[in-house]
Amino acid sequence: MRFEVETGGRRRTIDVQPSGADWIVVVDGQAISANLAQVGSQWSLVVRRIDPDRGVTAPALGRPGRSHEVAIESRGRGEHAVYVDGHEIPVSILDPRNRRVRGRGGSTDATGPSVVVSPMPGRVVKVLVAPGDVVTARQSLVVVEAMKMENELRAPRAGTVIEVRVREGAPVEANTVLVVVEPDPE
Amino acid sequence: MPRLAPATCGPGARITTLRKVLIANRGEIAVRVIRACRDMGLPSVAVFSDCDRTSRHVRMADEAVAIGASPPGDSYLRIDRIIDAARASGADGVHPGYGFLAENEAFAAACRDSGLTFIGPTPEAIARMGSKTTARRLAVAAGVPVVPGTDDPFGPDVGEEAIARAASRIGYPVLVKAVAGGGGKGMRIASRPEDLTGAIRAARSEAATSFGDSAVYLERRLARPRHIEVQLLADLHGAVLPFVERECSIQRRHQKVMEESPSPVVSASLRQRLTEAAVAVARSAAYTNAGTAEFLLDEDGRFYFLEMNTRLQVEHPVTEMVAGVDLVRWQIRLAQGEPLTLSPSDTLTPSGHALECRVYAEDPAAGFIPSPGHILALRTPGGPGIRDDSGVEAGADVPVFYDPLVSKLVAWGEDRLQATMRMRRALDEYEVRGIRTSLPFFKWLLARPEFAEARFHTAFLDELLQQRAGESFGAVDPSLEEVAAVAACVVEASRPAQVAAEPSRTVRDARRPDSVVRGWKARARLEGLRA
Repeated sequence: MRFEVETGGRRRTIDVQPSGADWIVVVDGQAISANLAQVGSQWSLVVRRIDPDRGVTAPALGRPGRSHEVAIESRGRGEHAVYVDGHEIPVSILDPRNRRVRGRGGSTDATGPSVVVSPMPGRVVKVLVAPGDVVTARQSLVVVEAMKMENELRAPRAGTVIEVRVREGAPVEANTVLVVVEPDPE
Repeated sequence: MPRLAPATCGPGARITTLRKVLIANRGEIAVRVIRACRDMGLPSVAVFSDCDRTSRHVRMADEAVAIGASPPGDSYLRIDRIIDAARASGADGVHPGYGFLAENEAFAAACRDSGLTFIGPTPEAIARMGSKTTARRLAVAAGVPVVPGTDDPFGPDVGEEAIARAASRIGYPVLVKAVAGGGGKGMRIASRPEDLTGAIRAARSEAATSFGDSAVYLERRLARPRHIEVQLLADLHGAVLPFVERECSIQRRHQKVMEESPSPVVSASLRQRLTEAAVAVARSAAYTNAGTAEFLLDEDGRFYFLEMNTRLQVEHPVTEMVAGVDLVRWQIRLAQGEPLTLSPSDTLTPSGHALECRVYAEDPAAGFIPSPGHILALRTPGGPGIRDDSGVEAGADVPVFYDPLVSKLVAWGEDRLQATMRMRRALDEYEVRGIRTSLPFFKWLLARPEFAEARFHTAFLDELLQQRAGESFGAVDPSLEEVAAVAACVVEASRPAQVAAEPSRTVRDARRPDSVVRGWKARARLEGLRA
């Protein structure tokens, strides 16, 4: 099977085919062998470089490989959070038909209004701006308290506040829109 | 108004034997205290709010009592309900943990008035140390140096001009601090006279909201000080015993994030002077049970008393590791009236070195914003020298209502280097999925040369983080990105594609896209791969 994958801002073409207990994986033309074993909700992955002299058919027995702990959470539409040795790495498997990232869209429009959302559930302790206020980039707009800590939520860009959707004292869920800012023209 | 009557202690104190202990707390510290109780054969009683019904401390304790809704003001801060819970369960001892009601003299007094043994100092000692200006006066009377500042609090009616005159006498930069403050709340820096008015207003407003008392005082801000503190135990018979110091200079916004013992910069002679000063402050307050005297150490090696915490500290495990004692067990024994039988030569001679990382449910990559939520998977480290004091487990929810501390990872080594290497190994073993934690931040910090060389002061971390300007901590090796991509593809290829329209769970064998086989057969083939 062939996959187009995007991770770390880089796109790779990855071919995967089974070979005995292993998988032969060709990443951008480089062949490696991978042995994958499930352990509870995660995976043990042992990756070996393929010796070009002996080829892909050489038996795995006795050949050293790098051992990785892997866990994969599917976020739907080809988006995955892959944990390798405790490092969280986002991986997008692109749709083979149109080679676009599946399900992307709805991302911030560079020219439209900027929406400031609460990144976590909590309680609004302070609203520092009102509609019509001119704000600079990184200016504090709203203070949300969660887990005993006050978190200042700031303007992503300079602009004008066109809407304030919360009041002081109000509880908010994660991703609640707090303030809408119309950015200054570039 | 806090009473300042002498503490009821002395040679006549009776020995009582506790039969059951209620823990007026939650999370990792409740688990820690339950463990000490169990080690002593003492039954334990947990209290819990609505969102903590399935929390680890509730399931670990022998008994559990519901005390109200999730916001702390409706449960863990309700003195009446906790006293009722103790009565109803037949507990005769109450351990407050840290935070919540641990330094509330009214709670300690309510326990005493109800015939319950409060496992901590007397309400009078809590009151004395709870007022920062009273604590400063006690230290001065005991001959212990304090940071230059104002001796009397400025009440809410004192004008800004009077405070400004005091500030220019002390010298800038100056700190405006809440008299009732703690944990970095109600504290502001004025670098120049022009900043003072704003600093006073901000400190007062925060102090009024957080502590219900807007009184403030001033302290000179020392340049690049280190935070050094001395753990103390004191029995009811007049014995006060200090331990080897802890250093807690690695702080983010005045909150400790990492601690160690001993301090890499404290010599034997400085240790002697520091611990003597700590004992003098404790004696002047007629202090009993466990407490900690906090000091600032300046670049010239002079130290100044800062405040005394009248409770078990979050970072107590590092002391336990280098002293080989169980401080919670000692708290219980001292509360029972038992005499201190530890020898000062043991408690002042460190055995090896210990480090602690506070694992918080927060996202270091996003400016350390809180990251409450459901823990999908959790693997805690182990092996030589590693201790994980955790309040959570896989499947648990980290609620939004309380402190974000989920665990304290402690590493012990024969020396600081071995402790550091063990901590780095343990951080790599530690895996948490579902919520974000400060683990990636600690991996980064422990690899820094400043950490290895112990070149830090209380503002060091904030300065370092500012220089980074939001750069990611999870700077992942590109080879791991490739591994992640390969893993995702192989799992995708081996995953039997789900066909919704087929109730018989017929799936396609991913390795032979043209074939259609029964689910169990594809599964069997997959299992065959997992040799």
